[in-house]
Amino acid sequence: MSTPDHNRDVTERIRQYIQTKLPNATDLRLEAMERIAVGWSHETWLFDAHWTESGESKTQGLCLRRDPGNALLRHFSDLGVQFRVLQSLASTPLPTPKPYWYESDTSILDQPFLVMEKVAGTCPSPWGSAGRKFYAEAAARGALPKSFTQTLAALHSLDWEAAGLSFLGVPESGNDFALREVQKWCELVKLSQLEPHPILVDLIGWLKANAPDNQRLTLVHGAYRTGNLLIDNDEVSAVLDWELQVIGDPMYDVAYVLTDLNREGSELLSHLVERDAFFRDYEQATGIEIDEAVCQYYGMLYQLRSAAFWMSAAGLYASGQSDDIRLARTAWSVPFVLEGAARALGY
Amino acid sequence: MADYIKFAPDELLERLARTLKKEIGPAVEEAYPKTQAFMAAVVLQKLAGQLRLADEHAAARRRDLQELAEELDPLTVSQDTPPSLRAAVNTVRQDLDTASVSDLIETLYATRSELGEERFADLIGRVRTRLRARIDREMVYAA
Repeated sequence: MSTPDHNRDVTERIRQYIQTKLPNATDLRLEAMERIAVGWSHETWLFDAHWTESGESKTQGLCLRRDPGNALLRHFSDLGVQFRVLQSLASTPLPTPKPYWYESDTSILDQPFLVMEKVAGTCPSPWGSAGRKFYAEAAARGALPKSFTQTLAALHSLDWEAAGLSFLGVPESGNDFALREVQKWCELVKLSQLEPHPILVDLIGWLKANAPDNQRLTLVHGAYRTGNLLIDNDEVSAVLDWELQVIGDPMYDVAYVLTDLNREGSELLSHLVERDAFFRDYEQATGIEIDEAVCQYYGMLYQLRSAAFWMSAAGLYASGQSDDIRLARTAWSVPFVLEGAARALGY
Repeated sequence: MADYIKFAPDELLERLARTLKKEIGPAVEEAYPKTQAFMAAVVLQKLAGQLRLADEHAAARRRDLQELAEELDPLTVSQDTPPSLRAAVNTVRQDLDTASVSDLIETLYATRSELGEERFADLIGRVRTRLRARIDREMVYAA
């Protein structure tokens, strides 16, 4: 937990670091420093840097993400990789924060971190009542749902090879992509050191036996939903949370948009978009026909992902790597996911 | 539970949860510890429910697996049954635990092509019926 003294210390260390990156800056100061408590992955600070250079006053909004050392999904989500992804995307039409610096040297801020542009906008969480109200009102106005779909379409239309994203790993043809994802999440289950529930074993068996072939490969965000997008003036101003991106089947992202997991009873996909409009606008913008059978398969894969995620979260608490009681609470989320999987498997 | 306190463990946890929720949580000003207090109350309540039902659920799990093994036994004695599947059914009958049923499921998938779709569906369907009962029980305290 951060204290005021700890925050002052971190602020000063960040300031000293930025000074090294701006050697000609004088009177450098950081203002509006805010640590945002979103998610359980990387620690995030937002602030404005003000300085004078060649007699001219300058201001730049910045965002710093630090690896806390015990983040969820830390095995998949290296900040160095995130930085490379943001560098690759900086010259594409996809709205993403411009990356400035990445440091793996832990002597600077104790853990690796990256610094990127603070993009204008807000990122309401769809899990709270204020966020749901925000998205419901935006849905009624109509522009944001379109922007949501168009941005996903832009992501899937991006020339990932030209952008230099092949370093993420390129699946073989056939069902290699789906099997890679199944394997990845099975590894997270193993890391939790919990005995898998037999329903989870059944689900994994089903996923391996029914893995669909890829029809095409695109950049896949891996967690495209409200809450991972920055919104400004009813438009997506930045796609955030580049933690699970892969080169793979675009239906993997589409299935995430379609899944019930991200709308908790709302009629609207991701609390924002009408299903028919999403299908129409996405297909029109990408020329890709949404394959509902494949999306159903990926929907099942998201059940495995959710179970693995919650098991990993509870495991962090159980192993003493975190004292955040919210993580312990997630142990009782696993049966909900498994119940959903059981229904989907026809139990 | 030690004799020097007259509480069933689940009751004690429920009481602690109530105190956290109604007295300690509301008195905490700062957001993070306040959330932790309320979340601790939720965890204790769920743990109390799980503890209250633990013996009953453990007995039901064993009974389910015993019945499953008895049900699968005659269906997996024929010569054309893969030996690994026969062994997995035997292990369920002997161990009556989660690991053995997970192993049985993995063996069913591994021998699927040998079993053929119809027989695979029949056998996995019988396993799923027992697991349905198990997840329904677990949802009682998870909810």
